[in-house]
Amino acid sequence: MHKRIWTALVAVFAVVAAATNAAAAYPEKPIQLIVPYGAGGSTDVLARAIAQVAPKYFSQPLVVVNKPGGGAIPGRVDVARSKADGYTLLFGWGSGEDLVVPHQRPLPYDLFKDFETVCRMSVHSIVLAVPAASPHKTLADLVKAGKSKEYTTASVSTKGASVDITFLLFGKAAGIKVTTIPGAGGADAITKLVGGHVDFGGGHPSEVLPHIKAVRLRALAVALDKRDTSIPDVPTFREAGYDVVTAGSVKGVAVPKGTPKEVISYLEKKFKEIADDAEFQKIMNDIGQPVMYQGAEEYKVWFKQAYDQFGSLYKSLGIETK
Amino acid sequence: MFDVAGLWLGFQIAFSPVNLLWGLIGCVLGTAVGVLPGLGPAATIALLLPISMKMGSPVTAIILMSGIFYGAMYGGSTTSILLKIPGEAASVVTCIDGYEMAKQGRAGPALGIAAIGSFIAGTIGLIGLTAMAPPLAEAALKFGPAEYFSLTVLGLLLATYLTGDSPLKGLTMAILGLMLGCIGLDPLSGAVRFDFGVADLQSNIDFVTLAMGLFGVGEILFSLEKSETASILTTKIKNVFPTLADLARSGWAMVRGSVIGFLVGILPGGGAVLSSLISYAVEKKVSKHPEEFGHGAIEGVAGPESANNAAASSSFIPLLTLGIPGNASTAMIFAALLIHGITPGPFLLKEHADVFWGVVASMYIGNVMLLVLNLPLVGIWVQLLRVPYAFMAPLIMVLTLVGVYSVNNSVFDIWVMLVMGIFGYLARKLKFDLGPLLLAFVLGPIMERSLRQALLISNGDFAIFFVRPISGALMAIAILFVTYNLWAARKEKRKAQAKAA
Repeated sequence: MHKRIWTALVAVFAVVAAATNAAAAYPEKPIQLIVPYGAGGSTDVLARAIAQVAPKYFSQPLVVVNKPGGGAIPGRVDVARSKADGYTLLFGWGSGEDLVVPHQRPLPYDLFKDFETVCRMSVHSIVLAVPAASPHKTLADLVKAGKSKEYTTASVSTKGASVDITFLLFGKAAGIKVTTIPGAGGADAITKLVGGHVDFGGGHPSEVLPHIKAVRLRALAVALDKRDTSIPDVPTFREAGYDVVTAGSVKGVAVPKGTPKEVISYLEKKFKEIADDAEFQKIMNDIGQPVMYQGAEEYKVWFKQAYDQFGSLYKSLGIETK
Repeated sequence: MFDVAGLWLGFQIAFSPVNLLWGLIGCVLGTAVGVLPGLGPAATIALLLPISMKMGSPVTAIILMSGIFYGAMYGGSTTSILLKIPGEAASVVTCIDGYEMAKQGRAGPALGIAAIGSFIAGTIGLIGLTAMAPPLAEAALKFGPAEYFSLTVLGLLLATYLTGDSPLKGLTMAILGLMLGCIGLDPLSGAVRFDFGVADLQSNIDFVTLAMGLFGVGEILFSLEKSETASILTTKIKNVFPTLADLARSGWAMVRGSVIGFLVGILPGGGAVLSSLISYAVEKKVSKHPEEFGHGAIEGVAGPESANNAAASSSFIPLLTLGIPGNASTAMIFAALLIHGITPGPFLLKEHADVFWGVVASMYIGNVMLLVLNLPLVGIWVQLLRVPYAFMAPLIMVLTLVGVYSVNNSVFDIWVMLVMGIFGYLARKLKFDLGPLLLAFVLGPIMERSLRQALLISNGDFAIFFVRPISGALMAIAILFVTYNLWAARKEKRKAQAKAA
């Protein structure tokens, strides 16, 4: 009996030692950051900003790999199925595909069983804006006009994603019928809004800020519980009198399940250092993506809460789910 | 209107040795990826992004990247003309007459005219960009879902009439192309459709896979039927450079192609593809010998090749003045600018005049470099045709296999390409033209998305396509086009009947 316990203990020790050993050597080759979206999008830009400052903190280069298409699901499948050795990282963990889409349709992986959370880098809030030529100066103007017509059109990046849900939720809270027009991604949605083809629309600060500066768009509200630091003079929906608060586009990092604990905490620590880096913060500020770092444990709790919130929003909005 | 001081500043920046060197490297790389099937300009720019971050100045980085982008436009026509493999959607139209010319031993003039046309169009596009970027960008914003739908309807109609031998056959192929374009993700909701339970079909079929299968593999299979001596690639090569007569015939085609390409290219989305289509249709219409089109008319190469290059220049307009990237390559350049701390958009010209003018000036220089680079290459490419087809065919096969695999690292894509190859072979045997299929495949998703968006905006009212001025005008042209062609076909039929009687 004792002998068995000893054998087991030795075995455990050996495994742990081997793992620690491996971790000590990590990273010994370039680390891939898998971005399941196209180049030039907000997640891609974040990953590239990190890769740029990474040499200060990592002994190996971080390589950004775009795997766009397929509704950003194939890129996630790739990461879930890749070797759990800390050399393949998923970027954009906590986006609409993770918090919202699972409530719509089954996915080829288990969100909570196939991935391990590393950290959160940024939260991109959702801004509601109208074309500059629009007569509406406040959210109340927009709602007043909306009440007197059959429906109000809103341009959104993708159906069922966070921007879409937020605007539908706003319609419900304000008692107006909002018809959302999904586009081919954020840039397409903003182009239609700037061209005045819809009543309102919006997206993330980095997408609308340049147009607000150029007086092509006017921001009316932001869907956070407090004002966004990148557009401090825009009120929240709550301040305007409508109870709409959504998580927006959350950008975190995940690795395949089974990645050694040491590797995860190594990555967590390094990304924290990057989040505190002055050069990185300046880049992020310039592109309108506030750095909002959370460590693994804290982010896991936050992630689950946001996931559940979108689930109940889906039910309350009565959007068809498959 | 013409900011001479700005352009002067730009040329001072672009002529610095470092920027000249990187501009040249970009042009060479761009030509190379344009010629090689598979790896496209967007993927190449993505690969080089980390290196560009190490460059001291963002201007240098963007000069390199834009060089790759428009360099690829020059190179893209090479495989279309020599092997009938369009490297990208904008070169599909070039295959029609370009390859016919190669078959007649006139590959040299075709390649030469493509290079000269690209140079002229690139330069005309740049002059337009320099002179009137901001107002044109504003005009592009007027294009909403209804306008895009009408434009793609017109584009598809032009596509079905491309070769004109049988509009019914063209229409059949276009519908097949639309159907293939529906496989995968719904462009609006992102729901999976028509995947027949095959996981690999959930992401849409890649253009490169389809094009190389239908054209590349199909052509190889077709040529296997002929004996070695009769093979097209051993045809006597008449002359390497275009003759004066060729140039005279192509001159106005280039100018018209440039103007069309410049205007349509401003629209984000399928600008380059649509412009090459429209240019081909226009050339066929104004030509004194329309019967030559589809059988090696040089205007059929000069016009579309000019159009897609002018479109490449003008696609910088929405990027630089509005901050809206219109295609995958300009999206990469957009990302690169952002990471360098520069936001492309209305303030670029004010806040970073050096970047704006430096890049614009470098494109003028790049176009000259590309012409100087590409004209001697024509001689080398033409020599390739002297290689016996028994060696060429397997080589093309290997290149397409590697090219298709390199796009997504997917073995499934290779199977798709081979199946499409067999289909392409059968279509050729039955005299169905594959151009409409490929073009419908590219335009279909844009058309579907804008149709559904427009109907959402109008609450299901189809009048939206006719009452809005731009959309209504486009629809009117489309209707006139169909009626005219039906009328012409009927007249022809009566004539034939009268003759028979």
